[in-house]
Amino acid sequence: MSTEPLVAALEIVAGYVPGVDVLTGCSVELHEGEIVGIIGPNGAGKSTLVKAIFGLVAVRSGKVTLRGEDITSRPPHELVARGIGYVPQSANVFPSLSVTENLEMGAYLRPKTFRARFEELAVLFPRLAERRRQRAASLSGGERQMLAMARALMMAPAVLFLDEPSAGLSPTFQDQVFDRVIDINQAGVAILMVEQNARRCLEIANRGYVLDQGRDAYTGEGRELLEDPKVIELYLGTLARGR
Amino acid sequence: MRSRLHLALLVLAIGVAWPGIATAGEDEPTTTAPPTGTPTAPPPTTIAPGEEALGGTLTESGEPVEGVTIRVEGVEGNPVGEAVTAEDGTWRIPVPEPGRYQVTIDVDTLPRGVDLRDEKRATLEIPVFPGRPSVALFALGELDTGGRPSTLERLAQSSVNGVKFGLIVAMTSIGLSLIFGTTGLINFAHGELVTFGAILAWFLNARGPNWQLILAGVAAAAIAGLLGGALEWSVWRPLRRRQVGLFQLFVITIGLSLLVRHALLIWFGGQRRQFTDYTIQKEWELGPVSITPRDLTIMIASIVILVAVATMLQRTRIGKALRAVSDDIDLSEASGIDVQRVILVVWVAGAALAATGGIFLGTIEAVDWEMGTRLLLLMFSAVILGGLGTAYGAMVGGLVVGLVTEVSTIWVSPALKIVFALAALVLALLVRPQGLLGRKERIG
Repeated sequence: MSTEPLVAALEIVAGYVPGVDVLTGCSVELHEGEIVGIIGPNGAGKSTLVKAIFGLVAVRSGKVTLRGEDITSRPPHELVARGIGYVPQSANVFPSLSVTENLEMGAYLRPKTFRARFEELAVLFPRLAERRRQRAASLSGGERQMLAMARALMMAPAVLFLDEPSAGLSPTFQDQVFDRVIDINQAGVAILMVEQNARRCLEIANRGYVLDQGRDAYTGEGRELLEDPKVIELYLGTLARGR
Repeated sequence: MRSRLHLALLVLAIGVAWPGIATAGEDEPTTTAPPTGTPTAPPPTTIAPGEEALGGTLTESGEPVEGVTIRVEGVEGNPVGEAVTAEDGTWRIPVPEPGRYQVTIDVDTLPRGVDLRDEKRATLEIPVFPGRPSVALFALGELDTGGRPSTLERLAQSSVNGVKFGLIVAMTSIGLSLIFGTTGLINFAHGELVTFGAILAWFLNARGPNWQLILAGVAAAAIAGLLGGALEWSVWRPLRRRQVGLFQLFVITIGLSLLVRHALLIWFGGQRRQFTDYTIQKEWELGPVSITPRDLTIMIASIVILVAVATMLQRTRIGKALRAVSDDIDLSEASGIDVQRVILVVWVAGAALAATGGIFLGTIEAVDWEMGTRLLLLMFSAVILGGLGTAYGAMVGGLVVGLVTEVSTIWVSPALKIVFALAALVLALLVRPQGLLGRKERIG
C-alpha cells in the first residue's frame, strides 16, 4: 500500500455537542479498488467518522483528503460532484418521492446522464426498475436499501460510503446487500463500509479497522482481523469464537 | 455575515421610514356600497314632541316611484292620514301621538310593471316613538315568489363562497407549509406577507403610479417574492448557520410579525380601503348561485396558479428537489442538491404566493393592515389539516378550511365560522393524526 490513498482521514476530531468529542483522533485510509470495513462496539463513533469525512459533521481538527487534495469540511454536494457517494444508515430514501424521482435526485448534478445511468443500474437492481413508479415509502426495507445504494451510484462515484447497510434487514436481504456491495466494488468503486455485522463485513472486506472510543484501535486484513484473538474477545463476541 | 444583518436592518429602517415618504391620505373614497333595490330612509333627526310622523322614500332599482297612495290607520282601524309619494319618491304623514300604527300601501296605485316584492307585506305595523320620525319601508321589485332561498340553494351559494375563500387560503398556506417542511421554521410572520402584498398593490394602484390593478398586483407579488428571498438570505440563513434553535427562531418570527404589522399600520393607516378597479360589479346568476365576474375570475386565476405550482413540484428539476428537501434535508445534501438554494426558492415563491392571495382577498373584500393576521390561524389550520410540510396538503387543507368556514354560516353566526374551522381540524386530527395527506413517521 505504498500508493497514494484515494480517501484518507488523518487524526480526525469531531462531535455533535460543543465540548464533547465523539471522535478523538481517528485515522483511516481507502485505496483504489478496495472494500474497507469499519467495525467496533456501539458508541465507538463509526457512523460519526463517515459523516465527518463526508462533511455532514463538522471536523474540529484533523484532515480529510481525496486523491491528496484537502476536502476537510467541504459541503456534501461538492463532494458528490467530486465523485463521492454516501448512503446514510436510516432515512436513506426520499419516502414521498417515487423510485424514479429518488434516482433523479441521485443524478441531480448531472441530469443529462440520468437515462443512461438508470439503464445501467436497472441491470444491477432489477427490482427497482420494476417498481419505478412506486413511492419509496411503499418499498420493503431491503428494497429501500437497494434504492439508497442505486441513488448514491447515479453519479458514477469513485468512492461509496455505506453506513450500516445491513441494519434492520432479514438475513436473506443482508446476503443480498453484501452481494451487491461486492458487485459494486467489482465495477470499480472503492467502498468504505461501517457495519454492526462485523463477521459478514470482514469476510468481504480487503481491510478492516476496529474503532474503540473514538480512535482506530486495530487495523489489518479483513480475514486476519476475524481471527485475531483480541478482536474476537472484544468486538466479535462469543458467537464469532464458536465458528 | 455582518453585512447581511446590516442589510436586514436597512430594509427594516426603510420600512419604518416609508410612511414619511408616502403616507396614505385621509381623503379616501369611502367603501360604502351603492344603494340597491331597497328604499333608503331619511336620516332620523330629533323633532319637537307633538310633531311625530311616519315617512319614507319609495324607490325601485334606485329610481324614485311617484304617485303611490299610502294610508296610515291606528291599530283599531281608525284612519289617521293619507299621502301620495312625491316626485322624489318621498312621503310623510303626521300622526297625533306616539304609538303603533298600521301603514298600508295602495297596491293599485303602483305604476305598471312595479310590484311589491312580497305581496303579504302591503300593510306594516310600525311603532312611533316620542320626538322621532318613524320610517316605513316597502320593498318594490320583481315579485319574489320563491321567498327565502332553500337550504340546498344556500348550501350551493356558500360552497362557492367557500371554494373562493379556500383557494385563497390554500395559496397563502403553501409557503407556510413548505418553509416548515424544508427548514422546520414555524413562520408566524407569514400573514404579514399576505398583508404586505395587498398594501403594496394598493399603493401602486390607488396612489403613486396609479397602475391598473392587474399590473399593480403582478408587481406587488414580485416585490413580495424578493422580500421573502431577502428575509431568508439576510435573517434566516445566518441564524440557521449559527445553529439557533427552532423555538428561538419561532419567537423571532412572532416579533417580526408584530414589527412588520405595525410598520404597515403606520404606512397604510387603520382604515379598510379598496382598489380602484373592479370594485362594484353586478352579480351573474348561475342557477342557484350568484357570483360577480371579478370573483369568478379570481377563482379561475387561483386554480391556474395552484395547478402551475403543482406542475412545477411534480415535473421540474427544482420542484422535485424541493420535495426531496422537504422529505429529508441531509439526504438531499448527500445527493448533491444545493439545499440552501432550494430554501431560497421556497421563500421567494412562498412569499409571492402569499402576497398574491392577499391581493385577491383585498380585491374581493378590502385591504387593511390586519388582513393577513386574521388569515394566519386559518392558514395554520390548513397546513396542519392537510399534513405538515407538503404543498398538496396545504392546498387540500386550505380548500377544506375555506369550505367549512363558509358553509357553517348557514346554520351558525358568521362570527363563529373560524371556530368551526378549528373544530374540523381537531376532528380530522383525531382520525388522522398525520393530517389528510401527511405520511406517518416511521418509528425506529
